[in-house]
Amino acid sequence: MKFSDETLMAYLEGKLDEAEIRAIESAVEADPALEQRLMALDPFAPVVQAVFEHVPAEAPQVDLPQPMAPATPAGGGLRLLAVAAAVAVVAVSATFWATRPEPLGWAQQAAIYQSLYVPDTIASLDNSAQTLDAQFAQAEAQLGRSLNREELEALPGMELKRAQVLSFKGKPLIQVVFADAQGQPFAFCVIRQGEGAPNKDVTQAVLSGLATATWAQDGYGYMLIGSDEQTDLSGQLDFLATSFAS
Amino acid sequence: MSVLTTRARSVESKHTQVAIYSMGGEISSEQAVRGAIQMHSKRVWRFGLALSGASDVADDLLQSTCLRALERHHQVTSHDRLDSWLMTICRSIWLNEVRARSVRKAQALSVTPEADLIAPGNDSETNIFATEVFTQVMQLPEAQRETVMLVFVEGYSYREAAALLEVPIGTIMSRLSNARQKLKTVMQHEAADAVRRSGK
Repeated sequence: MKFSDETLMAYLEGKLDEAEIRAIESAVEADPALEQRLMALDPFAPVVQAVFEHVPAEAPQVDLPQPMAPATPAGGGLRLLAVAAAVAVVAVSATFWATRPEPLGWAQQAAIYQSLYVPDTIASLDNSAQTLDAQFAQAEAQLGRSLNREELEALPGMELKRAQVLSFKGKPLIQVVFADAQGQPFAFCVIRQGEGAPNKDVTQAVLSGLATATWAQDGYGYMLIGSDEQTDLSGQLDFLATSFAS
Repeated sequence: MSVLTTRARSVESKHTQVAIYSMGGEISSEQAVRGAIQMHSKRVWRFGLALSGASDVADDLLQSTCLRALERHHQVTSHDRLDSWLMTICRSIWLNEVRARSVRKAQALSVTPEADLIAPGNDSETNIFATEVFTQVMQLPEAQRETVMLVFVEGYSYREAAALLEVPIGTIMSRLSNARQKLKTVMQHEAADAVRRSGK
């Protein structure tokens, strides 16, 4: 039995009698194409979908157990294996993200980018005062605010390596990268979100296998990214949350 | 929460063992499950909200679902449709472990729908409408609410939702019909407002 769009619409609006309803429902059971037509005509679905797709506003946090034994700095075969595993994880993540249903936030994107950093990425960077001068001038011009360079240079246990201008959905995103005492990369990111962006308290989460802390204040978003998922960010966090408080 | 957290801890040691064997190989089922968790956490949370009607319970349900999924990653044979697998786990935890407790709590507090989950937008009329739709959906009976969430919001077909909720397709369709009847009022208001706004 064929049903016109008008009949299907009347069904969706609850205007058919019992016999007609039963006829449609049993036809749908046997006919996936009819099911697709009916679903496509449903005027309620897009409205409800539009309301709920932004709930919750931020990706909810999940605490998962560690994916592998903590990497020992013993070197050799184990280390290679760990690298291979890390590459595999990035590859898997990339595959899943490529088919993701929801767009990623800036913090997730920044974490993905940062997860590709290894000590060699930053080991040979020129961080002379002159180079940093130029990088900070450019970054602060894009961002429209100071990056408190003196404070960043005084960040406990960290060597300032580079300030880099990136962009997320047209918004300037500055990545300031450091080397910790072991030469592992560590990043502080600032994005200009614009006036009216809601303030957010510090949230810590593991993103792309890296410990992160994000917060937002006065139209700017901030993010700390550690070198692995167990990096303790609390020292830097206290320091930066204070120096970027206003 | 404390019950669920305790269980979560017990997963941890076993889980780490499994992970070591999978290092350096192809995409393991564990990696696939972790990827799926990262990708679908919002959907699972929303489903938890639809089941329980409360965002704190949704938080707990998401957390327990993810830990349970990791614990059972060896059951995964295909990496397709891990989303519905996560949804099924979420629902089973809700029905078997959380529901009785939460429903008692909800009756005691007469929980109202959490309309503050609707983020404030620029257009207040749009916002009022969104809040009304949200409230109406959250006030549906649980069976209709979970069905509306799966079909209208997450885009599952009737037969997929039927398989997930273990009911006949006809039941899915009649739940949706009943939900439409209740949502109709707020939709008609919106249509009327839209006409008014357009200046006719």
